[in-house]
Amino acid sequence: MPHQIAFTAVATVKPESLDALRSTLREMAADPAGNRLIPFHKLNGVHFARFFLLEPTTDVDGRPIAGQLVFMADWDAPLEQRIQELAEVGTEGLSRLFSSCEGYASGGGEPGAAIQYLRRHAVSNAAVYVNTIGLSASQVIDEGRLRDALEDYLDQDPDLRSAGPGAVRRALVDRVASTAELSWAAQPADPPALAWKIRELAHLLLVPLIGVLLLPVIVVALPIWLVVLRLHEHADVALDSRPDPARVSELAALEDHGPVNQFTAAGFIKTGWFRSLTARLVLFLISYGVRHIFNRANLAGVKTIHFARWTFIDGGRRVIFASNYDGSLESYMDDFIDKVAWGLNAVFSNGQGYPATRWLLFGGARNETAFKNYLRAHQIPTQVWYASSSQLTALNIANNRQLRRGLRGAMSDEAASAWLRRL
Amino acid sequence: MTQDPAAPKRAAASGTDGGLENADIQGLVAAGYGRLPAARYLLLRVQNPVAARLWLGEIADRLTNAAAPVTHTGLNLAVTFAGLERLGLSAHTLGGFPPEFAEGMVTPHRSRMLGDTGASDPARWRWGSLTSRVDILLMLFASDEPTLADLEEATATDLAAAGLASVARLDTVDLGDREHFGFRDGIAQPVIEGFGRAATWRDSIKAGEFVLGYRNEYGRYAPRPAVAAGADPSGILPEDVEDSTVRDFGRNGTYLVFRQLSQDVAGFWQFAEREALASGQGSAEKLAAKIVGRWPSGAPLVRAPGSDDPSLGKLNDFDYGNEDPSGERCPVGAHVRRTNPRDSLDPSPGTDKSVTLVKRHRILRRGREYGAPLELNPTGSGRPPVDDGRERGLHFICLNANLRRQFEFVHGTWVASRKFAGLYDDADPLIASRGPGNDALTIPDQPFRHRILHLPQFVTVVGGAYFFMPGLRAVRFLASISRSGAQPGG
Repeated sequence: MPHQIAFTAVATVKPESLDALRSTLREMAADPAGNRLIPFHKLNGVHFARFFLLEPTTDVDGRPIAGQLVFMADWDAPLEQRIQELAEVGTEGLSRLFSSCEGYASGGGEPGAAIQYLRRHAVSNAAVYVNTIGLSASQVIDEGRLRDALEDYLDQDPDLRSAGPGAVRRALVDRVASTAELSWAAQPADPPALAWKIRELAHLLLVPLIGVLLLPVIVVALPIWLVVLRLHEHADVALDSRPDPARVSELAALEDHGPVNQFTAAGFIKTGWFRSLTARLVLFLISYGVRHIFNRANLAGVKTIHFARWTFIDGGRRVIFASNYDGSLESYMDDFIDKVAWGLNAVFSNGQGYPATRWLLFGGARNETAFKNYLRAHQIPTQVWYASSSQLTALNIANNRQLRRGLRGAMSDEAASAWLRRL
Repeated sequence: MTQDPAAPKRAAASGTDGGLENADIQGLVAAGYGRLPAARYLLLRVQNPVAARLWLGEIADRLTNAAAPVTHTGLNLAVTFAGLERLGLSAHTLGGFPPEFAEGMVTPHRSRMLGDTGASDPARWRWGSLTSRVDILLMLFASDEPTLADLEEATATDLAAAGLASVARLDTVDLGDREHFGFRDGIAQPVIEGFGRAATWRDSIKAGEFVLGYRNEYGRYAPRPAVAAGADPSGILPEDVEDSTVRDFGRNGTYLVFRQLSQDVAGFWQFAEREALASGQGSAEKLAAKIVGRWPSGAPLVRAPGSDDPSLGKLNDFDYGNEDPSGERCPVGAHVRRTNPRDSLDPSPGTDKSVTLVKRHRILRRGREYGAPLELNPTGSGRPPVDDGRERGLHFICLNANLRRQFEFVHGTWVASRKFAGLYDDADPLIASRGPGNDALTIPDQPFRHRILHLPQFVTVVGGAYFFMPGLRAVRFLASISRSGAQPGG
C-alpha cells in the first residue's frame, strides 16, 4: 500500500504551436482511457490524470504570460516508476504534446526525452488533499471487485436468508477464502513504506514544534498581520462578474459523464507582498491539516472529494486549484459553501476578484451567487481527464475498504449485522 | 429531531405579513387551487409578437394574484426564455437571467444530469424539444368543466388573432389526493414564510427560495433580471431591492419547471406482484411501498414498517436520520426519502444541521394528473391491473427561485444519481430513467439486503421546459414593450 503522490508538470507552449497542441488534446479527449497517443488504461498506479492548456493571458500588471501545458496526476509511489511507465506507454503522445512546447528535444521515439522533460518541468504543489492516504489505485479497483463478488454471493445463495448475521458473514468469508482471485482480500493491505511513515511522523511533530519556538514572533506578528488584513479587506475589490454563457456551456460539456467529475481553475493572487505571503501561509497550514488530520475520507464534513491540490505557477503570481470530486459541480459548490466556506475563504480570498471576506474566514463563499460566479469564471476546461475508477464515488471506495476489513477476525452478531449493512 | 427553538416560527395569520407583495405575485405560488378541480394547460408559440403583446395586455388583468380569494376560476401564465426573447424583452434584461433558464431544459449536459436519456431523451419529446419550441404556458383552473371551457373561451379562443399558435393543449384529471400509481401525493410540501399556513421549522422556507426579490435561505437575494430605469418610462416595474438605479423585472416572479411524465401504471403493479412473489418479500403492495417510501394511504414506512396504516396517511412529522438511519424501514433509495431527505444526509445525519442543508433544496410542487386512471384492482382479487393502452401520468410542475440549486439539484443529485447517499447503482426506483448501472434497488433487511437488478422504467418524460412565471407588473411591462419590438436603451 504505497502512498499517493500528486505530480504536476508545467511547460510553456510555443506560440506557433497552440493550434497543434489543441488538436492533439482534442484527439486524446475523444477517449482519455484508450486513446492511441497515451492509453491511460494501460498504466498501473494512476488514480486520476489530466492535461489542460492554460491559454496565453496577461497578469494583473498587464505583463503577457505565454500559453502553458499542464499535466497533473494523482498516482502511487514510487514516482520514478510512474514517470517511466507513462513515458513508455505514452511515448508518441508525450512526444507530440511536448513538441509543441519550448525546449523539448525530440527523442526520436525513445521515452528517455519525455522522462527528462517531465522531470525538468515538475512543479511542487503548495497543498495536496488525498481522500484516504495510502490507498493505492489497484487496491481501489480490487476492493471494488470484492464488493461486486460479495453482492453476487448474497444473490446466489437463497439459503443464507434464514441464517443469522454471524453465519452469513462466515459464509461470505469462506467464499472469499476459497476463491483464488479473491484470496488476497483476507489479508490486510500492505502498509506504506516505513521510511515514508517516519518522515510523515517527523513532519507531524516538527511543524508544531517550530510553531512553539516561533511563538514569540507569532504573538507580535499576528496582531499586525490582522490589522493589515483588515485594511486589505476594506480596500479589495470584489468582482461579481457573471461568467460568459458560452464558456459555461463549454465547461458543462465536459461534466457529468459519470458519477465522478473534474474541476480545474486558475486565478491571480492580488498584487502586493501581503496577499502573496498570506496565500502561502494559509496553504502551508492547509497542507499540514489535510496531510495529518483530514486524511480519512472526510474533509471537514465533505466526503465527496477524491484528490485536490493547490499549485503556484508563474513565479507565484497565479494559483491552480484542481480536484476530482463526486456529483455535479452545483452539489460540489454547495458543499463548499455549506461545509468548508472558511477554508476556501482563507485561500481564495487572496485571489483577484473573490467575494468580500471578513477576518479572512467569514463572508466570501457564503455569498452564494458571487462565489459560484467566481468559481465558474475562473474555471478552465480540463481537456483530457482520466479516472481509473470512474464508476466509484469516494463513499463507495470507503465502504469497499470497510467490507474488506470486515472479512478478518472474529465479530459479534451485532457487528456482523452492521457489516452486512454495507452490502 | 428537535426543533430549533431559536428558529423563527411563522405567525399563522394574515397572508400579507413578511412583506410579500401578494397582489403582484401570481396565485399559483400561494396555492395549488385545490378548490378548482378542473384544469388545462395551453402551450403556445408566439407567431406575431405585436399581436401577442396586445393579448398579453388584455390577459394581464385577468391573471389570478396571490391576494385574491379563489372562487370559481384561476388563471396564470409563464414564459420560456425563448418566449421572452420573442416578446421583445431586451438583450440586456435577458442577460440577467441565469444560464440554466436561458439554455433551457434540453441541452445535452442538462439531459445527462437530469437523466433524460433513453426513452426520456428530449429528441422523443412531444413538446419542449429543440424542434418543438414553446414560448408561453397558460394555466387555466376552474371549479368545473363548463366553467373551465368558459375561461378558455374568454382567454384563448382566437389564438391566431392573438398572434399565437398552439403547441399542445394538455388536459388534466382530478384524482383527489392520489396519483396514478395509487399513492397519496402532495403530503410533504414546503411552506413559504409569509404566506398563510403555519408550518414546522423544517418545512417553513424563506420566501426568497420561491419568489424573486426576497431573502433566501442564505439570507441573500437570488440574481434578478434588471431593466434600465429609462427603459421603463411609465414606471411599471418596481425598483430593484439592492440597486435603486435599476428596475427589477424579476421581482415577485418565480421559475416554473414543467415536465410531462407518462406513467406505466400496469407495468409498475405487475412488476411489484412478480418481484414480491419471486423474492418472497410479502405482498406487491409492500414492495411498492418500499419503492415509494410511503404506503398507498400515505403512511410513512418509517412509522408503519409492517403494513399500511391509513390513520398515518397524512403524517409528515417524522425523520430518517434518527428513526431509521440504515433504511431497514424506509430504504435509503426510496422515492420520498431521496426527494426530501429530511435529516438523513451528511455531514451530521439526525441533526438540525442536516435539515438546514436540505432546506436549501426544496421545491413547491403544483402539478396535476392527466389521463383516465387505471382500475388498480380490477378483479377484486388483488391481482395487478392489465394495461389498457391509454396514456396517463403527471403534469409535474414545480416552482423555485434558483433552478440550479433547487429543481436541478433535487432531480440530478438526489433522484437521477445512482450514487445518492452512498448507494452504488440505485437511481430513484419510481421515477428515474433506467440504463446500465443505474437500475438496481437495494432494500435493507435482516440478515441482509434484498437486491433487485434490472428494475424496469415506470416513468417516461415526454415533454418539458423551464418557464419564468413573472410578477403581474412584469407581465404588464412585457405587454407594454414598444411596437417596434425593440425596448429602448435596454
